[in-house]
Amino acid sequence: MTPLQPDLSCRRRFLSKSGGGFGALALGDLLASETFTPRPEFNGGLHHPAKVKRVIQLFMTGGVSPMDTFDYKPALEKLHGQKLGPKNKPEGFTAAVGAMMKSPFEFRQHGNSGRWVSNVFPHQAEIVDELTFLMAMTSKTNVHGPSTLMMNTGFLLTGFPCMGSWISYGLGSLRDNLPTFVVLPDPKGLPYNAKAAFSSGFLPAQHQGTMINFTGKGEAISNLFPDKRYPFAGGAADDDGLKLLAELNRHHAESDPANSQLDSRIQSYELAAKMQLAAPEAFDLSRESETTRKAYGLDNKVTEDFARRCILARRLVERGTRFVQVWSGPDGPVNNWDNHNNIEKELPPMAASVDQPIAALVRDLKARGLFDDTLLIWTTEFGRTPFAQGSVGRDHNGGTFVTWMAGAGLKPGVAYGESDDWGYKTASGKTYCYDLHATILHLMGINHEKLSVRQNGIDRRLTDVHGHVVEDILA
Amino acid sequence: MSEGSQYSHVIIALMAALTVSRVVAEEAKAGHLAHFNDKVLPLLQEKCFKCHSHESGKMKGGLTLDSRAGWSVGGDSGPAIVPGDPDKSLLIKAVHRLDDDYAMPPKEALTEAEVKILVDWVRAGALDPRGEKGTAKVERPDTNWWSLRPLKPTGPPKVEGINHPIDAFLSVKRQASGVSPSPHADRRTQLRRLTYGLHGLPPTWESLKQFEADPGDGAYERLVDALLDSPRYGERWARHWLDTIHFADSHGCEHDMERPNAWRFRDYVIERFNADVPWPRFIREQLAADVFHPEQMVALGFIGAGPLEVSSKGTAPVTFAYLDRDDMVNQTMASFASATAGCARCHDHKFDPISQDDYYALQAVFAGVDKGDMKYDADPRIAAKRKPWQALLKAAEQKDATILLAADHQREAKAWADRRGGDASWDVLQPTTFVSTGGAELKLLDDGSILAGGNSPATENYVITAEPKQPKTATAIKLELLPHESLPHNGPGRQPGNGNLHLNAFTCQLFEAGSKEPVNLPILSASADFNQEGWTISHVLDGDPRTAWGIHPQEGKKHYAVFLFKEPVKLKPGSRLAVSLEQSHGTQHVIGRFRLSLTESSPEQAQVLPPGVRDALSTPADQRSKEQQLAIAAHVASEVATAELDAISSAQQTVFGMNKKSVPLTVNVLNRGDIEQPLEVAHPGAISAMSVLESRFHLSDPNNEASRRAALAKWLASAENPLTWRSIVNRVWHYHFGRGICDTPNDLGRMGGQPSHPELLDWLAVWFRDEAKGSLKKLHRLIVTSDAYRQQSVIREDAARIDGDNRLLWRMNAMRLDGEQYRDSIRQVCGRIDLTMGGPGIKHFVQTKGVFMTPNLNYDAYDWSRPDAGRRDIYRVVWRGIPDPFMEAMDFPNLGLLTPKRTHTISPLQSLVLFNSDFVLYHADCLARQLKQESAAISQCVASAYRRVLQREPGNFELSRMQAYAEAHGLAATCRLLFNTNEFLYVE
Repeated sequence: MTPLQPDLSCRRRFLSKSGGGFGALALGDLLASETFTPRPEFNGGLHHPAKVKRVIQLFMTGGVSPMDTFDYKPALEKLHGQKLGPKNKPEGFTAAVGAMMKSPFEFRQHGNSGRWVSNVFPHQAEIVDELTFLMAMTSKTNVHGPSTLMMNTGFLLTGFPCMGSWISYGLGSLRDNLPTFVVLPDPKGLPYNAKAAFSSGFLPAQHQGTMINFTGKGEAISNLFPDKRYPFAGGAADDDGLKLLAELNRHHAESDPANSQLDSRIQSYELAAKMQLAAPEAFDLSRESETTRKAYGLDNKVTEDFARRCILARRLVERGTRFVQVWSGPDGPVNNWDNHNNIEKELPPMAASVDQPIAALVRDLKARGLFDDTLLIWTTEFGRTPFAQGSVGRDHNGGTFVTWMAGAGLKPGVAYGESDDWGYKTASGKTYCYDLHATILHLMGINHEKLSVRQNGIDRRLTDVHGHVVEDILA
Repeated sequence: MSEGSQYSHVIIALMAALTVSRVVAEEAKAGHLAHFNDKVLPLLQEKCFKCHSHESGKMKGGLTLDSRAGWSVGGDSGPAIVPGDPDKSLLIKAVHRLDDDYAMPPKEALTEAEVKILVDWVRAGALDPRGEKGTAKVERPDTNWWSLRPLKPTGPPKVEGINHPIDAFLSVKRQASGVSPSPHADRRTQLRRLTYGLHGLPPTWESLKQFEADPGDGAYERLVDALLDSPRYGERWARHWLDTIHFADSHGCEHDMERPNAWRFRDYVIERFNADVPWPRFIREQLAADVFHPEQMVALGFIGAGPLEVSSKGTAPVTFAYLDRDDMVNQTMASFASATAGCARCHDHKFDPISQDDYYALQAVFAGVDKGDMKYDADPRIAAKRKPWQALLKAAEQKDATILLAADHQREAKAWADRRGGDASWDVLQPTTFVSTGGAELKLLDDGSILAGGNSPATENYVITAEPKQPKTATAIKLELLPHESLPHNGPGRQPGNGNLHLNAFTCQLFEAGSKEPVNLPILSASADFNQEGWTISHVLDGDPRTAWGIHPQEGKKHYAVFLFKEPVKLKPGSRLAVSLEQSHGTQHVIGRFRLSLTESSPEQAQVLPPGVRDALSTPADQRSKEQQLAIAAHVASEVATAELDAISSAQQTVFGMNKKSVPLTVNVLNRGDIEQPLEVAHPGAISAMSVLESRFHLSDPNNEASRRAALAKWLASAENPLTWRSIVNRVWHYHFGRGICDTPNDLGRMGGQPSHPELLDWLAVWFRDEAKGSLKKLHRLIVTSDAYRQQSVIREDAARIDGDNRLLWRMNAMRLDGEQYRDSIRQVCGRIDLTMGGPGIKHFVQTKGVFMTPNLNYDAYDWSRPDAGRRDIYRVVWRGIPDPFMEAMDFPNLGLLTPKRTHTISPLQSLVLFNSDFVLYHADCLARQLKQESAAISQCVASAYRRVLQREPGNFELSRMQAYAEAHGLAATCRLLFNTNEFLYVE
C-alpha cells in the first residue's frame, strides 16, 4: 500500500526537482502533490498518526427530514397544528411557513445506546450501536445547491475542491491501479450543481472524482477501453501499441534527457494499462456471494440500485480506492429527499431504497475488518422545517440536521449535539461542515489548517477559515 | 457646483452618520485619544489580539477587538463595551474575572493597573478612533509594495551585442548568476512555437517548407506579422481572456441552465483581439460600453461572465445577490488589476493595502446591476428610431394633454373608438368534463360556473373540456373568477387566510372532431380587470412556473381576465376545447369558483380596458369630458407606441450580460462580511492605496448606476494606474513563456509571487502604455522577436544546477498542448478543420431534459462525423457545471473560479482519454483514410503522417517500427499512436 515510487537515477532526481519543465508540475503530480507527503511514521498521515485511510461517503440529496428519521421531537406532538413559526418567510424557504407538524412516523429506542429511530429506517435501527451521530449539524443556507456545495467543498458557490479531491491531493492513492476518488451518482441524475459537487476545483485535474456509470448499461468508466466501433483499436493493437508508444517516447526523450515530464507521461500509460486490468475485476459483482447480495438487497427492486452501488463502494475501498462517494437522489424537487409536498408519502420510499443496503454495508465493513481503517459517512445538505409546508410537507431548513459516521477512530453508539425542542435550530454542540471536515481530516492524519493551496491570493482550505475537530466523538 | 464641493458634501454626510464622538469637546477628546493610543491600544494588542483579531485569524466567541466595530457589535454574547458604563460592559466584567466563563484573558489575569486603564477608557466613553474615517488606522499593510508604486520609465540596460530590450534586461540578470542563454531553436521548432502560441494550431508542412526556404533578413518578423494578421489569432487569445474572467455558456450552481445568448460576448472578444483594440478601450467597453461606446453594448457580457446562483433572483435574494456582486468585484479587479479585492470582504486585507471600506466601495460600483440576458441595439442608430415612441409612451403614462389632445392623436383615438364599436359579446362555455388534479370536489353550477369544495390542496390544476356550440370562430377566451359564500372570505380563491388565488399558467387546446391529437392554441396576450402588485396577468404567459396572477387585496368580488388567441380559432361542430388552469404556487392559492366564455368580437372589443377607458367609452362620443377624451387618447397612444417599440425591439440582439435595477441598492460595509451586521453605507470607489488615483468616485448623480461603472473603468484604464499596466503585460508574458515575470498573473500583491525581473516588467508596462499605445499585437511582436523566446527548450545541466527553475530564462519552456490546441491540431492535420467563425456554440454532447432545471448532457453520445464537429473548440458550448470529460482530463479549468493560468497535469486517466476516446479514434481513422488516398504504399503513408502531425520526416528507426505496426494493426492504429506521442503533445 505504499505509493508508487519513481525509479530515478540520482542525476535524474536532481534535475526533476530542479527543472522538470516549467510550472514544476511534473512527476509529483502523477502521485499526489509535491507539497504534501504521507509519512510512514504517521501511518500514512501528514501531520499526526492516521486512523482512517479510506472513506465512503453516502450523500442523501434533497435534505433528509431529521424529525422524521433520527431526531425524535415529542414536543411537536403537543404543538401540532399551532402557528408558531416565523411570520416572514426566511431566505431559502420555498413557501410561506405553515403550522407545526408532528412526525407521522412512529419512533422507538434501539440498541444499548437507546437511540431513537423512526420506523422509516428499520434496518439502520438495528445497527445504531455502531454509529456515531452528529445531532446538531447546521448550514449557512436553506438553498439546496449552495448547501450541497458547503457539505462537500466548504463553500457556498462553485469552483472549490470537494473533500474527496482534497484527500486525494493531500494523501494520494493507496494503490495505483484504481482511481483514487470515485463518484457513484444516482442513475436517475446528477445531484444539485451537477458535477461541481465532486469537482477538484482549482486542484489539478487528476484529483477530480472519477464518475462511474454503474447501471449495468454502457461502459462503467468512459474511455477505459476503446469503443468496438473502431476495429483497429483494442486487443493486440493496444498491447503492441503501448509498447511501441513507450519506445517512441523514450527515443524522443533522449533529445531532452532531463525533462521529467516526458518520463511521467511514459509512466502514465503504464498506470493506465494497470487500471484496465484492475477496474473490470472491481466492477464485477458476480464475484460476490449470494448471501452478500441478499444482505444488501440486490435481489429486491426497491433496494437493488443503492445496494449495487454500496457493494461496489466496498469493493473499491477494499482494493485501494481512497474515497468513494455514493449519491441517493438526483437534483430537483421530487424522487429524492426534498419532501415538500407530503412527508408521509414521499419519505418512506426514499428511506426504503437505502435503508437495508446501508445497514448491510455497515455490517459488511465491520465483518471484513475494514472498519480498522475505513470511515463511513452518512449525510445530507440540510434538514427540514418542523412547520408544515402546505399541510403535510416540510420546507428546507439549514437550522439543524443529522449526520452519522461509523468506523475507525470513532466512539460508536454516541451522539454529539442536540437540536432545540422543535428541531428547528441547534441547541448545543452545533457542528458546521467545517467541523465535520476538520474531524474527518483529523482522522486521516491531516491538520485541516495545514492542508492549503494558494489560489488567486488566498491560502484556500477545505475548512475555509473555520473548523474545529469534534474531539468528543473520537475514540 | 464644482466636483470638489460635491465630493466634500458626500464626505460630510458620511461623517455625520458615523461620528458619535463629535459631541465630545475637542480638548477632552485629544486627551482621551492620547489615553487610547498610548495605553489602551498597546494593552489590547498585547493581551487580547492573540485570540480576538483579524491579524491572528482568531475571533474567539466571535469577538474582535481590533476595530471599533469589533467591540461595538461584539461577539456571540453581544456588544463587548457599553461606552460610559463599565459595569454593563462585558469586556470589563471579563477582565474583573467576576464569572468563570467570562474570565479574560483566560490564563493570566490583568494587573489592577491594567484593568484601570480599560475601566477609565470605557467610563470616558470608550473613544476609539480606529473605526473613524480620516484618523490613523492601526498598522496598515505597506502601500509601498512593488506593484503599487508608480511606473517610472527607465531605459533598458546597455549590453554589448544585444539590441533587443527584453534580452538586455534578461542578460544582466543571467550574467550576474553566471548562466548563459541557449542558442536559437531550429526553424521548425520556432515555427511550431509561434503558430501554436499565436494561433493555437500547428503549422502546415507547406508553411514550414516556405519558412525554411526563406532564410533572408526579416523572414521571421514577416512570419510574425502574418500570423498576427490572421483571424486565427483572435480565436486563440480570446480563450485566454475567457479563462481569466471565468466565462461560460451556462450558469453553474444549483440550476446549471444554458445561457443561449452568451456566445455573442465570446464573438466580441475574438473580434476585439483581432481588431487589436487598445487595452484601455477594451477595459472601458467591457465595464461601461453603455457610457463610452454604445456601439459595443455586447461588451457588457463581461459583467455576466461568471457563475450565477439563481436563488439570487428567487428564494434567497439577499445572500446570493451579495455573493454575486462579490463575484463581479473579484472578476473585475483580478482580471484588469491583478488585485485580490475579495480578500477584504470580511476584514481589511491581511497582506495588501486594501481595506474593507475599499472592498465595499467596489461592491457599490456594481450595486445597480444583476447578471442576466440583456437586449441591446446591435446598431446604435436604432436608438434614434425608438425615441419618438418612447416620448409618446411617456406622454401616455403622464396623460400629457398637450401632446395627446393634439389634433393627430385625437384623430387616431377617435378612429380607434369608432373601429372598436361596442363591447364584446360572450358565450359561456358549458363544460362537459372538469377535473381537479389536486383532489378537490368540483361542482357545476347553473350559471355554467364551477365551484371547488372538499379537500383543499396546496396546488391545483383544473382541466376543463367543452364542445362549444357558439361562436363559430373564437377570437378570445375569458376566465371569470366568481365569489361564493362557501369559499374562505367569499373567495374567489381558496386561500384560507384571505380568499386569494394564484394562476401560474393558462393553456388552451383544440381537439378537432374525431381527433385524439390536440393542437395547442397560442395566446397572443392577456389582460385583466385587476392585478395584485407583483402578480400581474402577464405572469400567466411568461412560462415561469414561479410567477402567477393574483387579486389580493381585492378578494370577495368578481374578477376576470381575457386571453386573446394569436389566430382566430375555427370551431367546427364536434370539436372540443380543453383548458388547463395551472395553480402551482402552493399554500392553497387555488381558484374557488370560475367560469369560461368565448367571443368572436374583435380583439379591441374583447381585451380588458383600464377602468377609466371603459367609463369613457360608455359615454357617447360627443358628451365625453376632457378627462375621458384624454383617457382614450392615452390608451390608444400607449397601444400604438408599445406595438412600434416591440417591432423595433425585435431587431435587437441579446447577450448574457447585465440588467439594470431601477435604483442601485444601498451597499453597507458589513462587519465580518456578515449581511446581518451592516455598518456604514459604502460609497462607490476603488482601492485607496494609490494616492494618484481617486479612491471614492465623484458622481454627480449617485443613482445613475452606469456612472459608477464608468468611473471604475476610468480608474482602471488610467495611465496612472500601475496595476493595470503591470497586470496586462505580465499576463501576456505568462502565455508566451508559460510563466509570468510575476508567476501569479491574478495577484501582484504580497500573497502573489515576486517578479523575477521587476525592471523588465516595469519597462514593458511603460512601453506598452506609451509606445505601443495599448496595442497587444505590438506587445506580442516585441516579445516573440526576442532571443529569449526563440531559444531552445532543452534542459542544460550546467544552467539547471544554478537555476533549475529557469527563472532567468536561459532556455525556452517546453509547453504541453492544452485541450483546445490538441483537438484543433488533430482536426487540422486530418483535414477536418472548419474555420467558419462566430455564431451560436457547438454542442459536443447530446442534450436531453434533466430531472429539473439542469439538463442531462451526454458527451459520449456525440457523433464526431457531424458537420459542426470540425469547428474550432473556442466555438464549443462550455457548460460550467457539466464539463466535457475530454477537456477536463486535458486540464480545461473549472470555470466556477477565475483561471489566470491553467495547470498541466499528467495522469493515467488522461492517458486513457487520449488513447481511447471517440474523438481521437475517430480522427485517427479520418487521417488514415486520407493518407491511403494519397498513396498505396504504407511507408509513404507513415512518412506523410509524420509530416502532417509532427511537421518532420520520420527517422529510419521510426519509419521501420511504425510501418511494421501499421502492417499488423492498420494505418489508423498508427495515427492513434502519433496522436499520443510526447512529441505531438509538447511544443518545445
